[in-house]
Amino acid sequence: MTGLVGRGVERVDGRAKVTGAARYAADNAVNGVLHGALVMSTVARGEITELDTSAALASPGVVAVYTHENMLPLTVPPDFPYPKRFIPLQDTRIHHNGQPVAYVVAETLEQAQEAATLVRVRYRVAPPTALLADALDEAFLPRDFRGRPNETVRGDAAAALERAEVRVEQEYTSPMQHHNPIEPHTTTAVWDGDSLTLYESAQGVVLTRMVVAQAFAKYVLEQDIRVVSPYLGGGFGAKGPTWSHTLLTAAAARLARGPVKLVLTRAQMYTMNGHRAEYRRGLRLGATRQGRLTAIVDTSTAQLTRTEESIYNTSNSTLHLYACPNVHVRQLGVRLDLPTSSYMRSPETTAHFGLETALDELSYEVGLDPVELRVRNHLPAGPPASKYLLECYRMGAKAFGWARRDPRPGVTRVGDEYVGWGMATETHTYNAIPSFAELTIDEAGRATLRVASQEIGTGTYTVLTQVVADGLGMPLDHVTTLLGDTAFPAAAISAGSSTMPSVVGPVSTAARNARDAVVAIAVADPRSPLHGVPAADVVAEHGQLFVRGDRRRRDSYRDVVRRHGQAVVVNGSGPNTPGHSFGAVFVEVRVRPRLGAVRVSRVVAAYDPGRVLNHRTAHGQVIGGVTWGIGFALMEHTVVDRNTARVVNPTLSTYLVPVCADTPSVESYFVDRPDPASKPALGARGFGETPGTGVPAAISNAIFHATGRRLRDVPFTQDKLL
Amino acid sequence: MTHDPVPERSAHTRRTVLKSTAVAAAGTVAAANLTSVAAAEPVRTVAGGGPVEITLSVNGQRRRVVVEPRVTLLDALRERLGLTGTKKGCDRGECGACTVLVDGERIKSCLTLAVMRQDTEITTVEGLARGERLHPVQAAFIRHDAFQCGGCTPGQIMSAVACIDEGHAGSEAEIREWMSGNLCRCAAYQNIVAAVADAAKEVRR
Repeated sequence: MTGLVGRGVERVDGRAKVTGAARYAADNAVNGVLHGALVMSTVARGEITELDTSAALASPGVVAVYTHENMLPLTVPPDFPYPKRFIPLQDTRIHHNGQPVAYVVAETLEQAQEAATLVRVRYRVAPPTALLADALDEAFLPRDFRGRPNETVRGDAAAALERAEVRVEQEYTSPMQHHNPIEPHTTTAVWDGDSLTLYESAQGVVLTRMVVAQAFAKYVLEQDIRVVSPYLGGGFGAKGPTWSHTLLTAAAARLARGPVKLVLTRAQMYTMNGHRAEYRRGLRLGATRQGRLTAIVDTSTAQLTRTEESIYNTSNSTLHLYACPNVHVRQLGVRLDLPTSSYMRSPETTAHFGLETALDELSYEVGLDPVELRVRNHLPAGPPASKYLLECYRMGAKAFGWARRDPRPGVTRVGDEYVGWGMATETHTYNAIPSFAELTIDEAGRATLRVASQEIGTGTYTVLTQVVADGLGMPLDHVTTLLGDTAFPAAAISAGSSTMPSVVGPVSTAARNARDAVVAIAVADPRSPLHGVPAADVVAEHGQLFVRGDRRRRDSYRDVVRRHGQAVVVNGSGPNTPGHSFGAVFVEVRVRPRLGAVRVSRVVAAYDPGRVLNHRTAHGQVIGGVTWGIGFALMEHTVVDRNTARVVNPTLSTYLVPVCADTPSVESYFVDRPDPASKPALGARGFGETPGTGVPAAISNAIFHATGRRLRDVPFTQDKLL
Repeated sequence: MTHDPVPERSAHTRRTVLKSTAVAAAGTVAAANLTSVAAAEPVRTVAGGGPVEITLSVNGQRRRVVVEPRVTLLDALRERLGLTGTKKGCDRGECGACTVLVDGERIKSCLTLAVMRQDTEITTVEGLARGERLHPVQAAFIRHDAFQCGGCTPGQIMSAVACIDEGHAGSEAEIREWMSGNLCRCAAYQNIVAAVADAAKEVRR
């Protein structure tokens, strides 16, 4: 260990990213590649009765047009990570607006796009149900999803609520939202006989390969599929599951007997790759007059589809964050004629927004400071896990100056703006998925790590390079990390904050194994200056191997491996367990009463992510997550037309996301103590999705503090404050 | 969008002309001005429909390319010239990922046709570094961790180069405003602002 882990080193892939050299999925030059374009349904529910491709086929450059009449028959993969229960272009049924009904293949992109406009489709149409509000009386308890029940009971919440000295009972709602990574989803499919290579925008290459193998079970073996995704232009959950465009592109390339590249249009990304579902949440809190929670009843209703019934935005924080003996969570859903929802960055935010806003309401009911209320309900972690949330409250409050807050709403004005301070706890679950790594030390004394993990912007290349360099005792620039290729050892999908907790263990084990292997070779080699030294007495630093206490007696990785005559290749594994990360966020808002406009002017946040592996990339996750929280609270909102069930704002000028001028600079602090429960990952927990989970509530709470108006329906657009 | 008056600078006469053209197209200037601008532009006709061979000057190299008139500059760069550093995010001028410099001015390359950009000097992210030496804006982006996934980064960097050149990097607030045409969904914004401010000092030195 050389102290590299934890240091905020610059990103090792920085040069590639700032020079345009980093090769994203759509950047691969494939000889003779054909271009795909999708034709989308313009109705939400019904059946195709007539489909005329003659004009499209006659259009210059068109190679083929695939429809349900001539598409390759595929097998619907059995379950998540293929979230849909159907594959388009396999039959005439229409399940939602913006469902592919034809796939055009042409020599150039422009030819494919033009021909796609020439396909004529007639439908038999049934009236769709588009809005949650229109179907609430049809709410039902969906079946378990991924082994998790949608109803959880602890104690007797109804009775405790009845007896409670203080109650808060409110409804909290949030709309449909879309991930909108800057890089559109893209697939380039290249068949070579019966083997298939996919250049894919994927958060999980291994799972993508599995899904494709399931869909193409009749045509190709899983081992003959290679999925390549060394860089990803943002995913945020949208590229976690595998979606139908990937399957259709692979099928089109097989039928067309040539490589095919498809890039979804921005508008298609509003119906093709999931979204955060619309939610209504009834929350009922019971408490003592001292502010101790005695009951939580959390009943949510989510938008589902007629073909899928998966709940993605779970009420985990209601169940796990605070000490409350009586909890009843029910996650209901209603079936609508919409595309399926899916995971979107920090999915637990939806539920957590309601809980943390309700707690603020409770703090006013019992006359307690919102921080103190949370401290009184703190739930320590069960051993061996650590939970330094109380430290987060203290650090964040101190840095923010929370002690100076006058709790009375609507009393602070600066110029023509009301000023409000609000806070919330931040927390999210992280996953841990079995992963493996391979490390090679070559005759130049350089290390190459291979692992089928992904770089989605969180800093995987950088942190894993640090872990390897640290474990080997080698300079950072002697280590190369290769990711995003199913040719490498299998590793976790980069979703659910799972990359670091899943992959750091195998990588650090591989580094230790490689170091031990090289030391063993050295001490057994009569030509080595280290010959005969007990292996335990050898230390590694800067690529050199020394005898402890006698630094003149030395060898090096390069010389040992060179004399050995062949590269040293080792593997590593290191299973870990899931858990939670924690934090506290404090925000200041400015509200202009005549315009109803809210501006977030200051954010301070303190976190307990276990051990911080790289302070620079950890801070990056904070500023990203907090900004997502601002977008969630103030602007993001997908609008669906009631009559057509069509998304009416599928563009970045109508679906607003935060821009540079919308965001304040965020101050972040870290407790930075290793969690014994995440020992394989060197004490680091999964963290990426924790920042931002509390921000919508903190903003709501700050708006209440500024104005005395309590907003429970995101986004908090200007009309709601006039 | 409104344009601030562009100061006359000898090095940027063509930019000024182009800016006037943009304003004229928006119908906000007098017809007389429009006429004078039109006279300054070379007249170029392209046959409708079929592919034409054109020459684009990209990163100091003249590149011949056959494109249909409907091909955007972005798709010409990415799909014909192999310059995939410039990214396509929305194809509608809304995200800024495809920002390149044309005669020193930042434009969204998805909103212009390749055939319209003959006789101009196009600079993409691949053309900023001098060999191994990064452009000050590129170096500042690494130093300040002004990116995460990198999907918007080429556009942010090209926009930042122009932002500094325009004189719009005078304060943090000004940078935030003039860099708001480039979305960063990872939201590295505060680090982008720091990088632009830092690079501006170096460029001005």
